[in-house]
Amino acid sequence: MTEPAVTVQNLTKVFPIPFRRTKLVAVRGLNLEVAPGQVYGLLGPNGSGKSTTLKIILGLVTASAGTTKIFGRDSREVGSREAVGFLPENPYFYKYLTGAETLRFYGKLCGLRGKKLQARTDELLALVSLEEASDRRLGGYSKGMLQRIGLAQALIQEPKLVVLDEPTAGVDPAGSREIRDLILDLKRRGITVLLSSHLLAQVQEICDRVGILANGVLVREGRVEDLLAIENQTELILENATPEVLGQISALLDQTKTRLVEQRRPQTTLEGLFLEATKTSPAPRDS
Amino acid sequence: MAELQHRSFSLGRIAALTGNTFTELVRLKVFYFLLIFALLLIGNSLFMARLSFQQEFQVLKDVSLGAMSIFTSLLAIVATAQLLPRDLEDRTIYTILAKPVPRYEYLIGKLAGVLLLLGLSILAMSALFLALLFVREQMLMSETLRETAGLRPEQVQAAIRSLEESAFNANLLPGIVIIYLKAALLAALTLFISTFASSNIFTIVVMVFIYFIGHLQATAREYWLQEHGGGWLAKTFLALVALAFPDLQLFNLVDDIVAGTAIPPGLFAQTAVLGCVYTSVYLFFAWVSFHGKAL
Ligand SMILES: Nc1ncnc2c1ncn2[C@@H]1O[C@H](COP(=O)(O)OP(=O)(O)OP(=O)(O)O)[C@@H](O)[C@H]1O
Ligand SMILES: [Mg+2]
Repeated sequence: MTEPAVTVQNLTKVFPIPFRRTKLVAVRGLNLEVAPGQVYGLLGPNGSGKSTTLKIILGLVTASAGTTKIFGRDSREVGSREAVGFLPENPYFYKYLTGAETLRFYGKLCGLRGKKLQARTDELLALVSLEEASDRRLGGYSKGMLQRIGLAQALIQEPKLVVLDEPTAGVDPAGSREIRDLILDLKRRGITVLLSSHLLAQVQEICDRVGILANGVLVREGRVEDLLAIENQTELILENATPEVLGQISALLDQTKTRLVEQRRPQTTLEGLFLEATKTSPAPRDS
Repeated sequence: MAELQHRSFSLGRIAALTGNTFTELVRLKVFYFLLIFALLLIGNSLFMARLSFQQEFQVLKDVSLGAMSIFTSLLAIVATAQLLPRDLEDRTIYTILAKPVPRYEYLIGKLAGVLLLLGLSILAMSALFLALLFVREQMLMSETLRETAGLRPEQVQAAIRSLEESAFNANLLPGIVIIYLKAALLAALTLFISTFASSNIFTIVVMVFIYFIGHLQATAREYWLQEHGGGWLAKTFLALVALAFPDLQLFNLVDDIVAGTAIPPGLFAQTAVLGCVYTSVYLFFAWVSFHGKAL
């Protein structure tokens, strides 16, 4: 059995609320597994614990209970992040550095040096189409440009796992399409991607699997097609169907000239599923 | 699957963090304070025309070393105080610690960046100060030669030797090293406080407070020991106070230098070691406070 890229077991995160006796449970008993090479989408309304989960996986926040692992290594080990790239939500980098300097800095942190680092920097600047802006300081970058330099930074050491927290937030439709293509390209190269998003249509297009969080609880999880299939219904698409045919359709299907083009489970949209799944969920607070 | 070998301590990563911190401080234009230092020295020497040369050199050393001490201390505090809060606020720290960077390397890199900046600043200030000292010495030298033109050679020699002795003395360099170490320990203490401070204003206010207490505490301690005697309780208490408020007066060798009394090598070594120990202890405290911090 191959080792999962990400394992989350019984993860719970409780934030104490200062000056109050109550606590906020941001993530509750979460279990997840991301297989290598998969694109996994973590969905959920604002404040449902997506970013918290990702930060715990990356060892930036300590779990209250449970464990998280990256390729079998505990997130608390610094070495588990050797082959990981992370793009935080609304990333903001050192604004006194230029685009190229930023990539070189992160490359050095990953142990890249000399010619290899320079080559990788140039390659990534081209990949996220920031060659023109590479000598400008990030203080003058637009939001979409920052998002793209953030993506390049995450990919600097050719990681095996890329974690993206809302990669398309604040990016225009064209830019967001580029990011989508980039993720698909990562997938083609066998890189595992774990992302959180609000853009359901896009998630539907690129993710192999999704998990929907609501108030820190995983309310739905599975392959995108499976989640979207409606079990007890069948959808028929007819060609040349006259009203009479439609009237007697179920009986006459075999005897008429009506051709059965396709028979399948109808799909709900991810948006429908999302709204339905997160509508009834447990209260976020524990006493 | 091949296990990736992670080095738990990498000078390369620390160098990257140090360089980055240094670049940050330089591009924030903190070096401008050197201009103020230069203006201070030049302005000062304009007012010294009427003094004897012994007095003039004393004042020049007093003002320069005093200003160097205050400026490096202030720079150490102000530059360090905003490093962590800024990274936390801008969330750049996420991108750094999501790389295989241990938190102690992050802290060491930050401190080393400040120490590099402080080192270059104090070098620049020393160069300025020594250049001024040299120029004044040369000017006074030709003046002395002119004034003593009719005297016997022994008298001329004596006048020149006394001039040379009051200009440079061997204590200047150890004195400057001690000023640097004081700034270094203040930077490390500031880093420690900024790991739990709620804002950088808080850090700066606390540090200014510590700075003054640190300079006054030697006097206070003597008074206290006289009043209360030196039981073990009192000694423990004083040791704790000395940890929270480093005795900065120990690092104040400026008066000796100006007076021209020699700094004994033993005292210099002791003070230097004390400075390094304080710096390391505070860095360690910073790590204790920071290593489990939720970001
Ligand atoms: N450092 C913290 N201290 C206290 N509470 C926190 C902290 N970080 C997150 N929370 C709380 O945990 C919950 C989950 O937050 P999280 O940022 O994980 O949500 P999210 O799913 O990423 O939301 P969004 O879609 O808005 O980004 C929220 O209620 C938030 O207020
Ligand atoms: Mg979030």
